[in-house]
Amino acid sequence: MNKGGPVGGGGLGVGGSGPTAAAAAAAAQKQKTLLQRVEGDIANIVDNFSHLVNVARVNDPPVRNSQESFMMEMRAARMVQAADSLLKLVSELKQTAIFSGFASLNDHVEQRRVEFSELGEKTDRLLSRIGEEAAASLKELETHYSSSAQKNLQNLKP
Amino acid sequence: MEEGTQLQVSIDKLPIKRLESIEENGIERFPSDVDYDEKRLSLIRRIDFAWAVEKDDEEKNKKQKKASKEASTPWQWQSMVENLQLAHQELSVIIDLINTVEANDAVTVASMTRPKLLPNEALSDLAVSAATKLQCYRHVGKYFKQSAKAFERQVAREARFYGALIRLQQNWKVKRQRQAAIAPGSEGFTFDLFDTSYDQGTIYRSSSMSTVRVNHDTAGMLAINISPNSCHTLQFGFVGAESEERRGTSDKHESDLSDEHHTEETDKKPLNDEECVKKTHSLLREVHKAIFNEQVFDLVNREAFNTSTGVTVTGIRENYLQLSLGQGTAVYLSLVSSDQDHSAVEGESNNDVENAIVPLESSDEMECDAKLNTRKKEGQFYHSTCYEIYIQQIFHDYIFGSGSEKSVSSGSRLSGAQAKDGSGLLGHFFMSLAHRIFSTKVLTELENVACKVPYLQLISNPTWNSRASSWTLFMEVPQSIIRTSDFNEKNASKRQFWTKVSVNDDCINVKAEGSPNVSGLFKGKAEETHTINRYDCNIADLAVVILQQVASQIINWLYQEALMVGIKVNRDFLSLCFELEQGETLCLNANVDPEDIEGCISWWLVMEDSFAEEQKLQMNMNINDGASEYKKFLGHLSLELLYATLMDLVGLCCGGGGGGGGGH
Repeated sequence: MNKGGPVGGGGLGVGGSGPTAAAAAAAAQKQKTLLQRVEGDIANIVDNFSHLVNVARVNDPPVRNSQESFMMEMRAARMVQAADSLLKLVSELKQTAIFSGFASLNDHVEQRRVEFSELGEKTDRLLSRIGEEAAASLKELETHYSSSAQKNLQNLKP
Repeated sequence: MEEGTQLQVSIDKLPIKRLESIEENGIERFPSDVDYDEKRLSLIRRIDFAWAVEKDDEEKNKKQKKASKEASTPWQWQSMVENLQLAHQELSVIIDLINTVEANDAVTVASMTRPKLLPNEALSDLAVSAATKLQCYRHVGKYFKQSAKAFERQVAREARFYGALIRLQQNWKVKRQRQAAIAPGSEGFTFDLFDTSYDQGTIYRSSSMSTVRVNHDTAGMLAINISPNSCHTLQFGFVGAESEERRGTSDKHESDLSDEHHTEETDKKPLNDEECVKKTHSLLREVHKAIFNEQVFDLVNREAFNTSTGVTVTGIRENYLQLSLGQGTAVYLSLVSSDQDHSAVEGESNNDVENAIVPLESSDEMECDAKLNTRKKEGQFYHSTCYEIYIQQIFHDYIFGSGSEKSVSSGSRLSGAQAKDGSGLLGHFFMSLAHRIFSTKVLTELENVACKVPYLQLISNPTWNSRASSWTLFMEVPQSIIRTSDFNEKNASKRQFWTKVSVNDDCINVKAEGSPNVSGLFKGKAEETHTINRYDCNIADLAVVILQQVASQIINWLYQEALMVGIKVNRDFLSLCFELEQGETLCLNANVDPEDIEGCISWWLVMEDSFAEEQKLQMNMNINDGASEYKKFLGHLSLELLYATLMDLVGLCCGGGGGGGGGH
């Protein structure tokens, strides 16, 4: 029932390893529906285009030509409608990918989590290093201050 | 007939039979009866169309003459016009014929057959049909092109929109509303910024910013509309230092606002997709931080009324909370929108950027020029930004949990119970704040002492704990006093003395080396050779305690030095007594006074014998009278001078003689 990789709402893994069999069946049904829509739209476009081409013959009675011109407009409108339907299908697929692409999302979230954890650890190390450097600088400055205070007081004494 | 046309009248013969011929035998032959159809045809043939033909010929001649005259400007539709006019004439002739036939009962139309088209007419009809069909196809083609362009634009718009949305989805939670009330042009996408880590049961302020609607801008790109007033930042400060705090933080908010203004200005310029996604990401992050700030404020607001935190709520307004820590210290926590902060900064300074720098310089100048007594009051105001960060960190760890158990520079390490209990967090924070303020006062006292005693060195001992501080007052015997015989470490006297001051919350603990430990001397360990004196004191007595410890350490050192040279001396806490001959004792006494400007530790030389004690009891002499023959004020001596004095006293003890006992 599952055809190839998951399409549409079939982000539940291959082979029905998803949470429930009903969900897998629903995903397969949705996949089938989408494929039918695609096939229907494309067949519609091809059929109307073939009719357009067939009507190219010039007939003697002018009335038939007028009839055919109206039919051509109708066929063209149908083709455009089918193309619009295909575009909407693509939009639906994109939306489904947004809300069903758990595998890639999870991978990315995990990757970002690792990155941020490393960044957090790096920041912690940086903070500790800054603290150590600040402590060392403080100690050095205190030593300098002490020595300078002694010098000042010795100068003040007669 | 048209006007001007000559009228011709034809007279038919009378409808009588006329003899056609007569034969010789007398038979008369009459013309046969005309068939009805033939009769009708003859009548039709009698219609004269010559006038029309002649007219056509005349018109053609005229037009040819005109064409010859106007040969320089032929009109492209001229031939078609002529053909149409000819067709019109023919049609008018036929219409006249039909009308005549209708008017004339004798003549009726038998049948109508389309005349066989001539080849050129057939081809022209075909050409017209082909042209018509071509026109239809061109119309259809134009329609297809327009539709294709529209689809391409829509595909590009959707590609940009969904590309940006997918990229933002990697960092933010995207939801979709399938309700019918969705605005046209919007697919109902929203960003859910409310973190599930927030405790739903304890949240009072449901943030209206947590759901951000995704819209389309004019170019079809993803856009979100966030009012700058809705984003609040957490502001912590000390009441009474608001102007300094606001200036100090104005530069931070100025940078944020300048970025916002910069982005607003660049909104007019077309942003590429990358910049648009980054800008949206930044905006979402601002909202995310604002939600967190609101949660922190709510938690503080809730816990502040808990009496166990040790703080008192003294003021409350919308997005503003004022707390009192006691001892005259009051702090406030508020949620400030960027607009409010911006207007406050504008009210205080004209030039935002330059004046944002100047207050920092002035604060540095204040730090440099501040006296010790004024620094006590101003020092507590310098750390409001770090407290702001600290309280955010505390609640961040509480809400979201720390990433790792190990905290390398944990200044906020909490006990396990406190970390899991939100009510203890605020107490811990304010205790840290109180400790910082208190430790600043302690440091001021220690600096005061270290500044006035030249041989004392103040060393800070970072504890990396928000509620514990430690300092060491270090004293080292100068190198010039070291004797060559002291190179042996075992027999060398102790040369470094320390006094450690620890502050835990608001408890001061003083730990110092005291007298030598006999058992420790046998063990030979440096840390166990001396007893450790431990005191708990309050801040008012801290200076005195420190000075007494230092003075006792000096006394101990002098005592050891005297023992090294083999002189028998007696030691008290702050006194070193030498026994002279004839029962006299010469004492070197230390006097500590924290308020002494010249030096906190002064030295007295006191001669005591049986007569001197009686006179002292009788006369109740003032101990500070340096002119007494039994007391001599030596002043604030350095370690070298003390050692020299000791050697003099040792010499006096060895040489004997009461003449030197006066110590003049």
